[in-house]
Amino acid sequence: MNKQRDQVSTLQLAFIIISTMIGVSVISLTRFIVNYAGTGGPFATIVGILIGFIGLVGLVLVGKRFPTKTIIGYNEIILGKPIGRIMSLFIILLFLVLAGLETRQYAEAIQGSILNNTPIQLAIVVMLLLCVTTTYQNVSTFAYIHFFYVPLILIPIVVILVFAFRDVEMYHLAPFLGNEPNFKDFMKGALVVPMAIANFLVIAMVIPFMKNPMKSMKGAAWGYSFGALILLVVITMTIAVFGVEEIMQMFWPTLILGRMIQVPAEILSRIDAILLISYIYGVFTTLLSYYFIVVRGICELFRFHNYRIVSILAAPIIFLVAIFPEDIFTMYKYLLAVTKYGMLPLLLYPFILLSIASIRGLKRLPESEENNSL
Amino acid sequence: MVFWKRKRKSSNERLSSSDSLEASQNTKLTDNLIQNTKLVKEVFQRDTDFTLRSFHLFGKTPAMALFISSLVDNEKINRDIIQPLQAPKEIYNKSSVSKKYTLQYLLNDFLYFSEGEIKCELPSILDALLQGRTVIFIDGENECLILDTLKREKRGITEPETERVVRGPREGFIEQLQTNLSLLRYRLPVPEFRAKPIEVGEKTKTKIAICYLENIASDELINEVKQRIQDIGIDRILDAGYIEQFIQDNPRSPFPQVLNTERPDKAVGNILEGRVAILVDGSPYALIVPAVFNQFYQTSEDYVSRTLMSSIIRSIRYMALLFSLTFPSLYVTVLSFHPEMIPAKFVVAASSGRAGVPFPVVVEVLLMELAMEILREATIRMPQQVGGALSIVGVLVIGQAAVSAGFVSPITVVIIALSTIGSFATPSYNAAITFRMLKFPLIVLSGFIGLLGLAVGLMFIINHMLSLRSFGVPYFSPITPWNKEGIKDSIIRAPLRWLTERPRELHPKDKVRVDSGVKKGPSNPLANEKRGRF
Repeated sequence: MNKQRDQVSTLQLAFIIISTMIGVSVISLTRFIVNYAGTGGPFATIVGILIGFIGLVGLVLVGKRFPTKTIIGYNEIILGKPIGRIMSLFIILLFLVLAGLETRQYAEAIQGSILNNTPIQLAIVVMLLLCVTTTYQNVSTFAYIHFFYVPLILIPIVVILVFAFRDVEMYHLAPFLGNEPNFKDFMKGALVVPMAIANFLVIAMVIPFMKNPMKSMKGAAWGYSFGALILLVVITMTIAVFGVEEIMQMFWPTLILGRMIQVPAEILSRIDAILLISYIYGVFTTLLSYYFIVVRGICELFRFHNYRIVSILAAPIIFLVAIFPEDIFTMYKYLLAVTKYGMLPLLLYPFILLSIASIRGLKRLPESEENNSL
Repeated sequence: MVFWKRKRKSSNERLSSSDSLEASQNTKLTDNLIQNTKLVKEVFQRDTDFTLRSFHLFGKTPAMALFISSLVDNEKINRDIIQPLQAPKEIYNKSSVSKKYTLQYLLNDFLYFSEGEIKCELPSILDALLQGRTVIFIDGENECLILDTLKREKRGITEPETERVVRGPREGFIEQLQTNLSLLRYRLPVPEFRAKPIEVGEKTKTKIAICYLENIASDELINEVKQRIQDIGIDRILDAGYIEQFIQDNPRSPFPQVLNTERPDKAVGNILEGRVAILVDGSPYALIVPAVFNQFYQTSEDYVSRTLMSSIIRSIRYMALLFSLTFPSLYVTVLSFHPEMIPAKFVVAASSGRAGVPFPVVVEVLLMELAMEILREATIRMPQQVGGALSIVGVLVIGQAAVSAGFVSPITVVIIALSTIGSFATPSYNAAITFRMLKFPLIVLSGFIGLLGLAVGLMFIINHMLSLRSFGVPYFSPITPWNKEGIKDSIIRAPLRWLTERPRELHPKDKVRVDSGVKKGPSNPLANEKRGRF
């Protein structure tokens, strides 16, 4: 662990969270929320974001308690070697499967919108290649990549949102809590949000590489708030433009929102292609985070520090996961199941770790000892 | 395996042969003039420019002057060595008989040479001869005088060919290391300026000077540069480019990671930022490390002309980069995969222009780009007399005739021309050529999978650039990692008054350029008068 070279600043941590959160799911998220919460979508999103934030706080607190360890490292310390390693393996597997399914989701969206005649495998392979060639770089490069792509992802989104204002119908948003407010359905809708954005877990792998891990809370909170705000606005605008009934007919409401936009200058007749490029960037940064957790996790778990080999070997497995679902419907079924039973418990997991750590009386190591232990 | 063994064997052989050479190199001079002369003669045999001139020291003692006539200043030898030494001299006859004393006396009190020494080992005498010095043997002495009489042919200082400016100094580096150092010293008259010598190249023994300001450049950087240059194992250094390839961080990357310049003012500017300049004897280029990406898009003129103008010009250069890199592939993507992206009128114009063109767009664009690269390469290599004429013919043929022959569509020609001109707007030749070559994989990718290919190709390039480091400095700094102070001198160029800090990514010892408070702005000397009178 070369601390001298791998230094991530607080700002970069915030950007890592933003670009990881805004990714594959941004185009379909609206539909799943509306599915349960109806016109209460925006409010459900706010609730979901708050739930996610609690999970984030827990994660950062554990990270600050063990500022030199990744989640794989403190799993072993807190839970003991065997249980900790099983939990780590579980997390790695979860992200491996997620990486596959989200790659598939992106590939379906690409095929559905621009590459109708190209086999879906090609889009998957290309994206995996990108991830493979990037994950064996050091952590600072990982942080730079996230940092660099965030403006490229956000600017087109903001442009679309600005132009979409013309088509907003306020009545699409009423009633505020949904037509027949029902706590169970509402919460189901709300929980879709943390299911999609709990991938901020990647910071648990990054915190030990920070210049100042004690400042991670600031960066994480800012990043999360900003990313969540963007998501909230996107979801609200999509609902406001299309209305609940129309959204239920679409797979990717956000993409269609982009297709509706017309730019005044008449250079491009449709800017959804530009949106798609920025979507590809968003997908890449999200998948890169998953891949990063998988590769770094495996390497740390098995004490095998050859990132290059692991990231090359992980690619075919993710590819197999990606082509496993027969069609887009089964893909979404798997995706929802995996996020529901995988990501949601992960929100509680840091608190379990924290309580066990305080029961066992594991204290934060002083700075000097940490450096020695490295 | 076998190959490897063979290599080992040959290197062993080389070792043994060099052993025997070393044995002969320990030879020292005797006090016999004829013997000594024979020793040197054995080495140079009958080379045309190896000259022996025998004379009598002060009209008495037999002596011999040896030099290599192609390297020395003959007039200087005649005037400053032979003439005074041949003249009969009374003092010499009277003075002491101590042998040591006579040579010392000649060097210290008699001859007027700024560089001279007394040596007795054969190897150092041979070295001295090869560096253009004159060796004087005197009968009865087992040592000899070595006097500096070097005269190398050199050209005058001219304006750099590759980095022309409209406004700014017109001096450029030349091949002589000493002249280049003088150009730097002239602009940087401070005692902290260091020019550390290193010799590289087993056979060429090229002199290299590592130039920096010792109170600004970080020690780690200086040591790293020295280390990397010392680690070079090669027999020849014929230009600074050899050094560049050995010291760059990632030799497989298409991107240049070392900046080169012909301009002393640019070199000094970079030294003052805390970078290190490497001068190589025999090369008119100074290497500057570490180099970050946006330096390849800056010229020294940016600092000379006014802020707003140079900021706009800098952003135009980046636009030109984007044009040259993505225009052809975007064109291919749009025409072959996503015609719905552009307005219908344009689609009609583009496709009607393409009527009768026998190839798909990808092939058409690739062929044209290839033709353009061939033209560019040909114009550089051609003799200057025919170059101009032929490039006009080439452009005419490629442009007009190809279109009217139905070989390419007119819009393709426009696109290719735009992208080529865009690449020539890059101030740095090696960065421009990188992007011109990266254009090809992008075109192929977008020909295969359209917009996805273009996006993915760009991501490959960006990811690679983000992973690059030049001497540990991230290639995209100060944009990634973000540095507010650095941004002021990157894509834009803030007023000089605001550029108070040296680039932080270089970890300079002295972070601030000027300590004293700078006045905020000009005051108006007429203001008071105005208020009083009107």
